[in-house]
Amino acid sequence: MKTKRTFSLFMTALLIATGTLTSCASMNSGENQTEENVQVLRDPYEDYNRRAFRFNQGVDDVFINPIVRGYQTVVPAPARTGVDNALRNLNTPTVLLNQLLQGDLEGAGNALVRGIVNTFVGVGGIFDVAAKEGIEHEYEDFGQTLAVWGVDNGPYLVVPLLGPSTARDYAGFFVDSFTDPLRWYLFNIEEDGLYYGKTGMTYLSLRSSLIDVLTDLENNSIDYYAATRSTYFQRRNALIADQKGQSQDTIAEFPEYDDF
Amino acid sequence: MIFRKTNTAMNKKYLLLTTVIAATSLSAPTQARTLQYPTVPARETISIKAAASEKELQNAKSFVKAVADEGISFLSNDSLSKEQQISEFKKILKKSFSMKSIARFSLGRYWKSATKKEQAEYMDLFEKMVLNVYANRFSDYTGQELQITGAKPQGKRDILVNSLIVSNKENFKIKVDWRIRSKNGQNKIIDIIVEGVSMSVTQRSEFASIIQRGGGKVEALLKELRKR
Repeated sequence: MKTKRTFSLFMTALLIATGTLTSCASMNSGENQTEENVQVLRDPYEDYNRRAFRFNQGVDDVFINPIVRGYQTVVPAPARTGVDNALRNLNTPTVLLNQLLQGDLEGAGNALVRGIVNTFVGVGGIFDVAAKEGIEHEYEDFGQTLAVWGVDNGPYLVVPLLGPSTARDYAGFFVDSFTDPLRWYLFNIEEDGLYYGKTGMTYLSLRSSLIDVLTDLENNSIDYYAATRSTYFQRRNALIADQKGQSQDTIAEFPEYDDF
Repeated sequence: MIFRKTNTAMNKKYLLLTTVIAATSLSAPTQARTLQYPTVPARETISIKAAASEKELQNAKSFVKAVADEGISFLSNDSLSKEQQISEFKKILKKSFSMKSIARFSLGRYWKSATKKEQAEYMDLFEKMVLNVYANRFSDYTGQELQITGAKPQGKRDILVNSLIVSNKENFKIKVDWRIRSKNGQNKIIDIIVEGVSMSVTQRSEFASIIQRGGGKVEALLKELRKR
């Protein structure tokens, strides 16, 4: 029964994903282009996005940031690193799957070795033993896979409570959560709570690693929304380009000026 | 979701260290001599070119190392007051960063639509803004180190020096690339790229947004910058 439900959820997600992608492919590309390099940054829903962004800022100030600060106060840094490592280890199937879908056999091999070594030698993934041996973590998701397959970013979207992303990356995000074997497993043994717990923990650990960067960006920018948008695009492009082995190409052309 | 699981390393410390600056200007590498010596056989021309650019890359690496060392030395000097730190930083900024190029780049295509007077005021305000932003970050420095990991040509004119900022205390590593341009025998930093995010591109994108929302007028940006 459960498997059936999970499977139909998965299909629905795929449908939504492909639906979103089709609609972004037909999206008008003319609006609000900036001089961002490589992939053109499109933000046709800027007014809506700005409102959602402000709403999220409020939620961050009142709920998220105090929780994150509390987490950082209560849990010492080495323990937080352990938590990050363990969560990352649990994400191994997703990384592995996407490396394969991107045709990156070496990356897939690394993900597999990392998963095995860190699970067994690194005490369930708490210690990143593989990285110490030179096999560094590489983050992959289905959004990046789609990009490697040639799918464009689609419009920039800020979703209340979820934050900034693009149509393509949101589609990728949903596909990743539905293809996650851990999710299938936990749902089948009726331990849905554990899965949601893991999701919540992943979110907390992510926000904890970003809180200083985001606070700094907010304090030192005039238009925080625009600065975040640009940062998001650049960071994603860098992750995607890494995959294609063309990190050089994501770096903007910098003209020569008379003054130096 | 934003930045889904990038790197724990995305910590504000990097922003600080990226400002770490200064250095002796190193002699600019000579251009490949292909044009000056047209009679040199092709094979040798190539080897001269390669040698020159290898030297160029080395120069750029030691330049970044020197800038970082100078920055770290004033940041870790507890006896300096905030004012002294700011004045040290100013010196480094003037000597090792091409503030004019960065400012011009950040204004993008709007430079042309600005009047001479607006351009001059913008240049002035831009430098003040950079000083202000970084002065607020001095206290973030807690002993991180910079390791140069490589260098490669970037575009037609520049060199990208790759480095890692490492904090053993907090167990993170951040990838920072320094874009170096050399002109009239002087190396200067024109961009800092942190985990794939260019400071100059982000600035340009932000400024463009402010100007667009202000009806396409550069004055809209100047107004904001004056407030800072």
